[in-house]
Amino acid sequence: MNGAALLVALPLLTAFLTPSIGRVSATAARLLGPLVLIYCIWLVAGLWGASLPVSIAIGGFAPPLGINLYLDPLALLFALAVYVLILLAWPWTEGTPGQAALLMLLAGSTAALALSGDLFNIFVFYELMSAASFGLIIVRGERAAHLATLRYLVLSGLGTVLFLLGVALVYFHTGTLNLAQLAQMAPDKLAGAQGLAAFVLILLGVGVKAELFPVNGWVPEVYAAAPRWLSGLLAGLVSKLAVLVLLRILVLVFDSEQAQAVLLVLGLAGFVTGELAAWWARDFVRMLSFSSIGQLGLVFVGFGIGGAAGVMAGIAVALHHMLAKPALFYLAESWGGSLERLQGEARRAPLAAALFVLLALSLVGVPPLPGFWAKLLVVMGLGAKGSALAWATLAGILLITVVEAAYLFRLVGRFYSEGEPAHAAPRLHGWDFTRALLLGGALVAAAFWIVPLGHWLEGASQLAADVPRYITTVLGQGGAP
Amino acid sequence: MRKAASLLFAGGLAFLLAVLVAKLPFGETPMVLGKQVLAQGAEQTGTANLVTSVVVGYRAYDTLGELSILFTAALALGLVLGKRNAAAPRDPDAGLVLRASADLLLPLLLVVGFYIILHGHLTPGGGFQGGVIVAAALFIPILARPSRGLDHGVLVWLESLAGALFILIGLAALFQDGAFLEPLLGKGELGRLLSGGTLPLLYLLVGVKVGAELTGLLVNLADAEAVE
Repeated sequence: MNGAALLVALPLLTAFLTPSIGRVSATAARLLGPLVLIYCIWLVAGLWGASLPVSIAIGGFAPPLGINLYLDPLALLFALAVYVLILLAWPWTEGTPGQAALLMLLAGSTAALALSGDLFNIFVFYELMSAASFGLIIVRGERAAHLATLRYLVLSGLGTVLFLLGVALVYFHTGTLNLAQLAQMAPDKLAGAQGLAAFVLILLGVGVKAELFPVNGWVPEVYAAAPRWLSGLLAGLVSKLAVLVLLRILVLVFDSEQAQAVLLVLGLAGFVTGELAAWWARDFVRMLSFSSIGQLGLVFVGFGIGGAAGVMAGIAVALHHMLAKPALFYLAESWGGSLERLQGEARRAPLAAALFVLLALSLVGVPPLPGFWAKLLVVMGLGAKGSALAWATLAGILLITVVEAAYLFRLVGRFYSEGEPAHAAPRLHGWDFTRALLLGGALVAAAFWIVPLGHWLEGASQLAADVPRYITTVLGQGGAP
Repeated sequence: MRKAASLLFAGGLAFLLAVLVAKLPFGETPMVLGKQVLAQGAEQTGTANLVTSVVVGYRAYDTLGELSILFTAALALGLVLGKRNAAAPRDPDAGLVLRASADLLLPLLLVVGFYIILHGHLTPGGGFQGGVIVAAALFIPILARPSRGLDHGVLVWLESLAGALFILIGLAALFQDGAFLEPLLGKGELGRLLSGGTLPLLYLLVGVKVGAELTGLLVNLADAEAVE
């Protein structure tokens, strides 16, 4: 069981060694990463059968004094997603040893975020995740990438300061950083205005990576400047780990009506602005970036519902987006640039166009695709919540979904229309199409097994929302309130 | 418009912080973890300097994260600055006084740096602080003689090995049925140079890694050619 620490230690170890190995053999450096990722997938599969949830003390110091890892189905699922998506995105042909090391650092830090049970530990690995993504974006070395990274760096720096400020505020009031102990003390010590302020600071800080409404200005620029596979990784994976961190903090420490109201408002604002901007966008990658902002807004609306139902709704939207958006970014490898170029693309690349139609239908939420069930969970959760704000949010979501459908189907219409553009998009690389197809296939498979998947997700969400269980798992029976 | 929005945001943040600080109960901070560390730190980890028992004992996992962040920053900077054009002109060497004092400073600073690293578990200091001094020791001679440069390969190997050994020591505990990064070896007598088990060893690796990384970072910056 202690082996769970390997999930973080091995990728970091690989990252440390890769630059040196790269000096001897670039091929070895390129192959080492995928091997370790596959081993990590195997490790996660082994942990899956263990009795969950379980808490693992690092360094042999029992929490709250030491740092602990917390393993529940949700944490393992996200860790698995980290390794699978990075393995899928691995740049086999163009990658340098430096890039391979940065990707392994990204894998280690994101896995650490999925498993961590300590607020400051989350901060440290959130920082590492940021640093690794800056490095990966700037690696291409084009001027646009430098400029975009610099702006991203400044905004992320601001986010980091806010996050740290929030953590400091929490520590000031409680004197501890362990999430389980914080969950124990929160109703007593963090219920007031100070606690809400700490939550908003942490929300805005982590929100930079999670593409939360007011702090997401970097998104379109960075996704356009970065290589497409990396944009897919940032939109599909990095943002989701920030979401998972926020979910843990929200459920365990700041579970209040006000915090949920903040999430509903900011989430709806993200959904509305993102989808409207995507409707205006005239460039394929920009459209995907704005749509990503919109989808993450929907995730936050889901969390704003509160309780196990809210957790399930938010996570369902996040998981769906985690499959669909990287697939779309792989398609963008050749479709990037003006939407004009895609006129009549269905005749030139019928399979890719069909795949796009499938992904678009799922994003809009057409049954029986998984996107429909995810959106349905959000809508039903809002209806069940029943407050005025929830009804208003519900109306906003339904209205803006029409906009979402309008711009996606407009593009589908362009694919199947007559006429040739002056500069048609280049042919899609076989491997990029295969990767997109794999993710699309997973989406279709999820549609077939939606009932068992739904049951599993319901159980995992109930476990994640079960605060007393979390406290006793980490602190033992003596920790029960 | 954009300036007005920025001003509004900064003003709002300042107001929020002012209100928060005004309401903070200064002087009555709950010492939940702090008290426990003070009470058990020396006994549990065997280091006289309690900061060290937190940095490489209780929160060694965080320190691993911090090491990785520095490693990432140095790596990314190296990739951005790229390889130096061999034909590019370098700054001329400094005068006699600077060169002679740089030569004198090198051994002195190295001794101070490693003293601070090796005594991190006894007195204030440790791997991060000493590592920075070691980096300064190695960089000053390069400032005095820019033409001489430094071998990047050695630095890359040093940081790789130091980082890998840090993790491997952590994993060694795992293979003895312990937890990741659990302190090994005997704790020894509190206050002696050889005490605290593997903690001073971890701190030495931190020092080597920080020293090599910062040196590499500074050399990279010094090597960068000015864009005309």
